[in-house]
Amino acid sequence: MVREVAESCVDSLLTEMVASYCNRFYANKPELAARRIEAIGYQVGHQLSERYTMERPRFSDHLEAIKFICKDFWTELFKKQIDNLKTNHRGTFVLQDNKFPWLERISIDPLTDKVNSAEDATTAENKATSTISMHLYYPCGIIRGALSNLGITCAVTADISNLPACSFVVRVKA
Amino acid sequence: MQFFGGSEISPSPPVPTASGNNGHMIYMFNRNGVCLLYREWNRPLRTLNAQQDHKLMFGLLFSLKSLTAKMDPTSAEKGNLGVPQLPGQGCSFHSFRTNTYKLSFMESPSGIKIILVTHPRTGDLRDSLKYIYNLYVEYVVKNPLYTPGSPIRCQLFNTTLDQYMRGIA
Repeated sequence: MVREVAESCVDSLLTEMVASYCNRFYANKPELAARRIEAIGYQVGHQLSERYTMERPRFSDHLEAIKFICKDFWTELFKKQIDNLKTNHRGTFVLQDNKFPWLERISIDPLTDKVNSAEDATTAENKATSTISMHLYYPCGIIRGALSNLGITCAVTADISNLPACSFVVRVKA
Repeated sequence: MQFFGGSEISPSPPVPTASGNNGHMIYMFNRNGVCLLYREWNRPLRTLNAQQDHKLMFGLLFSLKSLTAKMDPTSAEKGNLGVPQLPGQGCSFHSFRTNTYKLSFMESPSGIKIILVTHPRTGDLRDSLKYIYNLYVEYVVKNPLYTPGSPIRCQLFNTTLDQYMRGIA
């Protein structure tokens, strides 16, 4: 029996999770908050990859496993695939998603006319960027957990140089 | 009971009947009277400063709503003053028209009031207001960087709203 949950419930839960970890549990320690969020993502990715690879044979190499993440895994999670995959064939992969669903609704304040000083504007922008990057620790953890369950130890970071496209950089530990 | 019915996730906008920039201003208030959004596209005359203008608008609508509810000849039960009602229940005014402008109003069950001031020949804008409420839910409420109850400062919402307003009559 398939049980379903509304997508907005999941989105709101994730927003609240990031907000509580950043503002309440580890209010002054953003690195700890980031690590906890990433650890939660790790567990989730671990379990999800177990479910989604149930009927498949073992993957022959790292590239096949990454392609599974880009296509089937991403489709199960977000109903779309990763738009662009790049690799340097030496253990680094860049997964680019041009319209990442969990970031789709984030938008920063437009600069108002009365900006007190240039520093205010940049601090506001930095704050927005750091909040956005906090939201990305969870999907990084999911990717890391999924890959580790497939036998690939790696480190995953996110790159938000141009929103709403975001890239996940996977570095496999040889 | 679904609030806006329909099987789609967000209702498609009503078909525009004329092109051109006919929307003059939009106000959005929350339940406590905080002005969440004020945007103007075409307002030649301003008589009050912004704060007074917002307070006046909120007070006007509050009084108009309770007046129309109290004067309703068909229903015996009058709702409590100030409490927003579900769309089918009670009696709530939705627009008034003068010779120079038309004001359309919608209140959601959560108390969000949307007011749209357009030119006087505009048709019924209730579907447009529902679409704007949907935009609000998508781009403001679901935005992790927004705190409820504070004025709306979301780039995405502003651009989508401007684009939509350019397309309706």
